[in-house]
Amino acid sequence: MRKLILFSFLICGALGFSQTTIKGKVVDQDDQPVPSANVVIVGKAEGTVADFDGNFVLTTSETPPFKLKITSIGYAEAVIDVIANNQNLTVKLEETTSILDEVVISASRTPERIFESPVTVERFGLKEIKNTASADFYDGLENLKGVDINTNSLTFKSINTRGFASFGNNRFMQLVDGMDNSAPALNFPLGNLVGMIETDVLSVELLPGAASALYGANAFNGILFMRSKSPFDFTGLSGYVKRGITSQKEAGDNPYTDFGIRAAHKFSDKFAGKVNFGVLTGTDWFATNYDDKNMSGGSRETNLDYDGVNVYGDNARANIKDVALALESMSILPAGANALVPSAFVSRTGYAERDLTDYKAESVKADWGLYYRPWENDFEIAYVGKVGTGSTIYQGAQRYAIDDFSMQQHKMEIKNDNFFIRGYINSDDAGNSYVMDVAGPNLLAAWKPHSTWFGEYTGAYVQATLGGATDAQAHAVARQTAETGRLEPGTPEFQNAFDAVTSDTSFLTGSKFRDNSKIYHADANYNFSHLTDFAEIQVGGSYRTYKLNSYGTIYTDAESSIPYSEIGMYTQIQKTVLEKLKLTGSLRYDKSELFDGFFSPRISAGYTIGEEGNHNIRASYQTGFRNPNTQDLYIGLETALGTLIGGADDNGDRYVRDYGISQFAQNNLGQPASVSQAASAAYNNSMAASIATGLASHNPANNGSEFIGNPDDIKPEQVTSFEVGYRGKIKKLIVDFSAYYNTYNDFIANESVVSTYYGNVSNFDLTGYDPQNPASAAGLNQDTRLILSALQNNDYAKYQTYTNASAEVNSYGGAIAVTTKVLGNFDLGANYTFSDFNFDKEANPDFRPSFNTPMHKVKATFGNVDLFNNFGFNVAWRWSDVYLWESSFGDGVVPSYHVVDAQISYRVPSLKSSFKLGATNLLGDEYASAFGTGNIGSMYYLSWTINNL
Amino acid sequence: MKRYIMNTKYIWLLAIFLSFSACNDESDFIDEEEVELPTFTTGSANFSKYVALGASFTAGYTDGALFKAAQENSFPNTLSKIFINVSGGTFTQPLMADNTGAMATNGNVVVPYRLVFNGSGPQRLNDFYADLGAPAPTITTDPTVNLGNTFNNVGVPGAKSFHVTFPGYGTLNPYFGRMATSASATMLGDAASQNPTFFTLSELGGNDVLSYATSGGTGVDQTGNPNAAEYGANDITDSGLFGAVLNGIVAQLTTNGAKGVVTNVPYITTLPHFTTVPNNALVLDAATAANLTGFYQAVAGIFTQVLIGQGADPADAQVLAAQYAISFNEGANRFLIDVPVTATNPLGFRQMTEKELLLLTIDQDALASGYGSAVITPEVLQVLGKLQQGGTPTQEEGALVLGAVSGIDDYNALDTDELSAIKEATDAYNATIASVATENDLALVDLNAILQQAATTGIKFGDFTLTTNLVTGGLVSLDGIHLTARGYGAMANEFLKAIDATYGSNFVASGNVANAYDYPTNYSATLQ
Repeated sequence: MRKLILFSFLICGALGFSQTTIKGKVVDQDDQPVPSANVVIVGKAEGTVADFDGNFVLTTSETPPFKLKITSIGYAEAVIDVIANNQNLTVKLEETTSILDEVVISASRTPERIFESPVTVERFGLKEIKNTASADFYDGLENLKGVDINTNSLTFKSINTRGFASFGNNRFMQLVDGMDNSAPALNFPLGNLVGMIETDVLSVELLPGAASALYGANAFNGILFMRSKSPFDFTGLSGYVKRGITSQKEAGDNPYTDFGIRAAHKFSDKFAGKVNFGVLTGTDWFATNYDDKNMSGGSRETNLDYDGVNVYGDNARANIKDVALALESMSILPAGANALVPSAFVSRTGYAERDLTDYKAESVKADWGLYYRPWENDFEIAYVGKVGTGSTIYQGAQRYAIDDFSMQQHKMEIKNDNFFIRGYINSDDAGNSYVMDVAGPNLLAAWKPHSTWFGEYTGAYVQATLGGATDAQAHAVARQTAETGRLEPGTPEFQNAFDAVTSDTSFLTGSKFRDNSKIYHADANYNFSHLTDFAEIQVGGSYRTYKLNSYGTIYTDAESSIPYSEIGMYTQIQKTVLEKLKLTGSLRYDKSELFDGFFSPRISAGYTIGEEGNHNIRASYQTGFRNPNTQDLYIGLETALGTLIGGADDNGDRYVRDYGISQFAQNNLGQPASVSQAASAAYNNSMAASIATGLASHNPANNGSEFIGNPDDIKPEQVTSFEVGYRGKIKKLIVDFSAYYNTYNDFIANESVVSTYYGNVSNFDLTGYDPQNPASAAGLNQDTRLILSALQNNDYAKYQTYTNASAEVNSYGGAIAVTTKVLGNFDLGANYTFSDFNFDKEANPDFRPSFNTPMHKVKATFGNVDLFNNFGFNVAWRWSDVYLWESSFGDGVVPSYHVVDAQISYRVPSLKSSFKLGATNLLGDEYASAFGTGNIGSMYYLSWTINNL
Repeated sequence: MKRYIMNTKYIWLLAIFLSFSACNDESDFIDEEEVELPTFTTGSANFSKYVALGASFTAGYTDGALFKAAQENSFPNTLSKIFINVSGGTFTQPLMADNTGAMATNGNVVVPYRLVFNGSGPQRLNDFYADLGAPAPTITTDPTVNLGNTFNNVGVPGAKSFHVTFPGYGTLNPYFGRMATSASATMLGDAASQNPTFFTLSELGGNDVLSYATSGGTGVDQTGNPNAAEYGANDITDSGLFGAVLNGIVAQLTTNGAKGVVTNVPYITTLPHFTTVPNNALVLDAATAANLTGFYQAVAGIFTQVLIGQGADPADAQVLAAQYAISFNEGANRFLIDVPVTATNPLGFRQMTEKELLLLTIDQDALASGYGSAVITPEVLQVLGKLQQGGTPTQEEGALVLGAVSGIDDYNALDTDELSAIKEATDAYNATIASVATENDLALVDLNAILQQAATTGIKFGDFTLTTNLVTGGLVSLDGIHLTARGYGAMANEFLKAIDATYGSNFVASGNVANAYDYPTNYSATLQ
């Protein structure tokens, strides 16, 4: 529309001979320029568009007096009288209360009013970014309805919408100027670690529902869509510096600095460039959850087999009776002495996480772009490069100390208003990152091998017992004996061993992970709307190749890197009927080289009602497919809960490990001292982990086939999503409501299995076995007896497989947000989100859906951008319900919490500056957003932002 | 009107914030893995007054002694602590004054110190201290000092069945002497006078075969002779006498309707006192084995000549003497034992058979220097040399060789006959015990089956599997006969199991049991 006006103006202007020129500037109520306002002469198809500084020049054949109408989205229209040639006008636009008029792009890949968006979309615009009470704009997203932020670290937060997320949210996509900024190694976005600096952010949009139809498999549960400012439109220097402290009980008060600068220059109408640079340094939240994972309420003092959440190395454990048997076979203990030793697990004394990391949080990011518009119009050729490096903590299957991690992105893009074609590469380098859960036991083993430690322990236990010690005393003596010579943190000996272990990439002895994986991605889109009248049609497609190259430290790529590709195509038709009903249909086809292709359709309708068109209801139905991600397919990683082994059919055979067999089985079952097992056993020779507890209630009449593991190889997951929503204005109140119901089929989840070192599962048959009468086991076949013995002797490897739940998983929820102005011009917003899921856990005890989302969340903000004379404030409050966190790192309850963030700001237009004094978690009640991470303390900061008013 | 709408609007907003009291609880997510145990059911027995009558096991005897700490861990004391949960009363024991295990009167040690583990084997506490050059702890228990009270635990180490009803037994046994209510008191009388509502009658009959066994069968099997007055200390009690005594005891204890538990008698020869020293511990290298074989060929040859010299038919003499041409092999060989001289075994020795046993008390140093095989002196070697040269030994030289034969003395071993005497008596006692238990509706603990299981597969007690190995088995204490504290704990649970089965309680199912982790296997040498 705007183009049309411009076009007609050009023609009319060329033909006219008697000319009137009017100059003007469009500003808002704070005298800040309003960019891109439309300026038209009332009653004529003539006009112009203001530039990004709000300035416009209108030359017309019309002679005064006439009227100009100035409109801009988000502002009430203004009509100005022009009474003379060369008049200089200042037009003040009043901001309308309605955020409904804001324009979003992500929902339909084309600009549209948020009011008319066919699906739920959240927008976090410049105003919100400037006024957020959170420490930065990314954190501020947490105040949106339906959004959780899982705080891994000060520098790494991940977004969870609609559940089923851990820190690495594989069902969520993050696009920065069209680039997916997933780390190739991890296949999920690293928050804003390699993202944008604040003064370069133009807008942030968040689609909290399935967006696969347009964005492909990774956008299964949502997408974050960030756009930066073009150097053609926003030039000059801008930046910010933010200093303050982080305050946490365990970590104390630590300085925090966040600095960013943006430099953009428009060399000509053809050529512009920009550079951004940002540095954040601070100290991470210390993770000091010492709860016992093995025994509720246990501690190192009360549980011999203690395994603290943030204590590493104590996952090295052994049954000391079996150790005694081994010592007997080596004639270190007299024959039969195992009778003095209980069949009990004992864990080594681990190291606390704080001894294994310096908790340095750092993020250094830079990006640069060159933009060329050969015809000085919307056709643009751009190259953008981004690099980010940082130190953070990532909690996946384990706790990773990410040190000097770096990621690079390079993009070439050609686009105009109707199409784009772009290609980019993401590559990462793990730097000096290491796995703390692996460093712990290997550090202990480097000092004293596990077999030696447990041997000393058991020997001392026997000696103490014979010397007259009680069991408890004997354990105390045993631990003291085995711990003799322990490397104490802070000593040079500890540091040397620590340095050796964290720079060794073999997970058998070290803990450093290497990665040099890459994603190559290309996509294109063409919007036919300028060619077709009856509807707006878009087509697009994408191609992606992964090259996994973790040298065997994450994936089973020890021998060679693993490549695979995916391709996708989509089309969308959008049509407005009778000006009130907007119909959108989308269809996407995806094909991974590993799986059959599939179509993901979406249809949606938006209907505007009310006399003033103030109410819009929308409904959508969509089907999404999610290809298993790189980890689902190819991971091979030992963790506390078992070895994670991806579900690609060729994956397991690449992960082969040697396992020691219990002395008991060597002595009595004729088993060898060790066995070599390929992790494919998890898929073809495994028992369900639930057999550990389920066997006791086995009915002798059944054959026990429910205890057989052998999960199927992984295949794509499917979601069917219904969503309805309402947006509207009721008096001064803006209401946004949505509700969804998702049905997941072939839900990708971990299934816990165990593969015994002996016994063939294909012959497993428990018929006739009565758990009340252990002697009845004698009637079972040889393989079944071997399997039961192996379970008894702990002769099995635990695996977390990646497979599809046979049961349907449903998730559902709703959110309502209300915003309004109160007491004049105070902004008040509140929202409530409900989320829940159902899944037949009873029937599928070995599946771990990991919903990881609280059932209830309530959030509210209250603020005033201009309370008096350039002074504003904002207060945000959030409450999150208690919920269960399930992840391969560990399961635990995340307690409910209240958080209050607040800021006061002061603008000094003469200095083009704004100052913000803020505090997050003002109440000081530390809380955790997930199980196993550091408690989040408070931050107090003062920031100065320049040229970004 | 407009004003009104505004107000309600904010109230509605507030309502959103305040209406989340019905949120989730943390406990909704915590999987309670602990299995809910059923609540306790008392059953038909009344545990308010519990009296334990028995011998050393009942007393808590361990490590060859009775001492304070061991008494605290006696199975009756453990049971009484569990009975407290079901309105059991206080339980008193005749505690020793210290933990030496010894008793002394006027400086004379009348009962020796307890055994401790010295790093390689059991050793008396005083010897242990002597080796360290330290004085042994002072003995403060004087058996002549009567405690002047009745005690719930009437367990008297050493008591045989008929001792329980023997008036004045206190004058014979210092353990009873210090607790007997009068000089003429009987153990049964002192127990019954407390009017128990519940009793345990444990290991009655044990000592009736045990002293015979520990003496190496030097006593007499009195089966068929019910007159205890004619018995020696190491005799096997007549099972008829045993039955009469048992019936009398049970009759008196149940007079007031008391319920109780009895135990049978295990085959005591499976205890480590009899199984620790293997009968084939004669381990030889090839040369020594050949020499010994040669020696016994010489013995057979010489004895043939002796028999011929005594006028025997040479062929018969050779056949009779051939039994002494015992051959030895490289590796393990069975020892020789002395047996009664008979016409068929005129020299009175033979090699042990598979099932025959050696006692723990045997002098193992002597075994190493020829005891149980042959004590070959240089002089004997000379004779053997002469024989090898084809020479004929003189009569004296022959006697020298025959004298070098060394069979294990009777008191160090249990031979086949002795073993069967013990087994037959035990079986007879147990048959009586089983029928008495049935007739009187008493719970029965099958100690015999339990010990057999311990000796083969081991018995489970909590996370432990207890076996009958000496020192390392965890079940039997350092004396090889009595149990460790852990063993007594396991025994207490067997009692509870039997009580549950007979009286309808659910001690075991409800978790009211002894916890293995609370009971040590050994007592420290430093325990005072």
